[in-house]
Amino acid sequence: MASQNVDPTSASSFSSAKASEKGGSMAKGSVSKRLQQELLTLMRSGDKGISAFPDGENLFRWIGTIQGAAGTVYEGLSYKLLLEFPSGYPYNAPRVVFVTPCFHPNVDCEGNICLDILKDEWSALYDVRTILLSLQSLLSEPNIKSPLNTTAAALWNNQTGEMFELLTARSMTDQCSNVFMLPE
Amino acid sequence: MPSAMAQAAQGNGAVPSSKTWELSLYELHRTPQLSLRQEALTDGTEIAVSPRSLHSELMCPICLDMLKNTMTTKECLHRFCSECIITALRSGNKECPTCRKKLVSKRSLRPDPNFDALISKIYPSRDEYEAHQERVLSRLQKHHNQQALSSSIEEGLKMQAQNRAQRVRKQPADADNMAGSGGEENGDSSHASNASTHSTIPEAGPSRKCSRVDSEGSGTEPGPGTGVLASQLLPTLGQDVTGPEETGADTTGEIELVFKPHPILAEKRDGAQTRCGSRRYIKTTANATVDHLSKYLALRLALEEQQRGGAGSGGMGTGTQGGTAAGSGGGVGQIGSVGPMGVGTATGASPKGIELANEKQYTIYMATASGQFTTLNGSLSLDKVNEKYWKVNKPMELYYAPTKELK
Repeated sequence: MASQNVDPTSASSFSSAKASEKGGSMAKGSVSKRLQQELLTLMRSGDKGISAFPDGENLFRWIGTIQGAAGTVYEGLSYKLLLEFPSGYPYNAPRVVFVTPCFHPNVDCEGNICLDILKDEWSALYDVRTILLSLQSLLSEPNIKSPLNTTAAALWNNQTGEMFELLTARSMTDQCSNVFMLPE
Repeated sequence: MPSAMAQAAQGNGAVPSSKTWELSLYELHRTPQLSLRQEALTDGTEIAVSPRSLHSELMCPICLDMLKNTMTTKECLHRFCSECIITALRSGNKECPTCRKKLVSKRSLRPDPNFDALISKIYPSRDEYEAHQERVLSRLQKHHNQQALSSSIEEGLKMQAQNRAQRVRKQPADADNMAGSGGEENGDSSHASNASTHSTIPEAGPSRKCSRVDSEGSGTEPGPGTGVLASQLLPTLGQDVTGPEETGADTTGEIELVFKPHPILAEKRDGAQTRCGSRRYIKTTANATVDHLSKYLALRLALEEQQRGGAGSGGMGTGTQGGTAAGSGGGVGQIGSVGPMGVGTATGASPKGIELANEKQYTIYMATASGQFTTLNGSLSLDKVNEKYWKVNKPMELYYAPTKELK
């Protein structure tokens, strides 16, 4: 309690320098333990339309799948995602990209996703399950105000019927040529 | 709780002016919650709480583990491990990870020793709990991890071999039960027949520590998956194992044999050996080959001979077997001098017996109709022999005689 009267902002800025250091050298053990726990709950929960599993032996790299929600233009479509967990997980957000081409206002041609909870609004409480559920709802409820794919955003405003056509016609391949390779 | 807050407010000295600590109208008028019995539970009444809901209460939402050095946020009352929440505050937004309420610093948190006490009351042994968690997770791993899979196969095979050895040891029908040596060597029979299987398994997959697998309790009886996989593995080990019995559990993979000296050949060579008492009962795996058997026999006879030599004549026989043992001893003695034997795996095999271990010294015969004897091919597995010649559901009778020397 000696530091009681210290300005909290200066105290926290001091500790945040230490934080990144600690986040980097975080014992891999605790991260993989948490990931294993997540896997366990994910498999027990049996959520509809989402699934994820580690990619091979690497626990820090998962492949996830989301299905378009019923009653939306994405109904019947399923999308593969790649999730890469940093060593600072869960304090740092995982990197999430679409592997399956996704024509969506907030997804660019390379599968990058613009979603606040994967960036600034990340919280250590989020996990694979909540990420996938968020992405599932993002599909049908895009944030038109900050689009990554302006064509998709314009079409979304225009008419969802047209959007659907684009989706089913897989015209993404024309638009974005062959950039949908697994990012290395 | 209010007192803690008041304390915190005092300590901080920075209570926002918009906040008051007066009770709301609702708080003033509500009646404290009572139990169903309208009184505090002071007797032995027990209330069941499901493990899962308990777990979600006692879990830190950041590490998903049980709370350790619980810290509670002062305003929103969310709980975290001390380490977790401090790391989170350092590396992320200055807000409660659960509800995003602003958390300026560590001082927006307070330790919650009561909660720690509660946890240690429910889980007196934290280590035990953690060990359990480990097992659950490793089981998960086991299901989906190639390496772990192969290790569980390995484990399964070991268990099978162990069970087998135990079962054989318990066999009361073991007429050959010589004091001291009988049990041990019968255990050996399963080893000998199994030796090749066993030693090759680690090469089949990356070997891994697998003590976890059996500590879960699922290891005592190899699961069906393991059984099937194990049997798929076996044929690759160079043994001719394709019989339908092999796909089942290990119990069906065993075969019982009665071994007798060949009445003609054995008698010709060494008369003393043909007494009917020198029959041997053996239980072994069905995928063992005739060669295995012959090796085992050579080893077994040689050991007996050795012991007889060492302990003095007559020392080995017990009860009804006494005369027999002595009788067969004579015959064996002769064989032993022709070529001392000993398979490397033998327990207590003397050093001198090892050189000729691989030399086949006994031929195995099967009696056919009209008193004829068929020589059995050494590479034939016992279940094949059973299928081909015996076919009856009782211990298979085989005859042995020393192989003619190729002089």
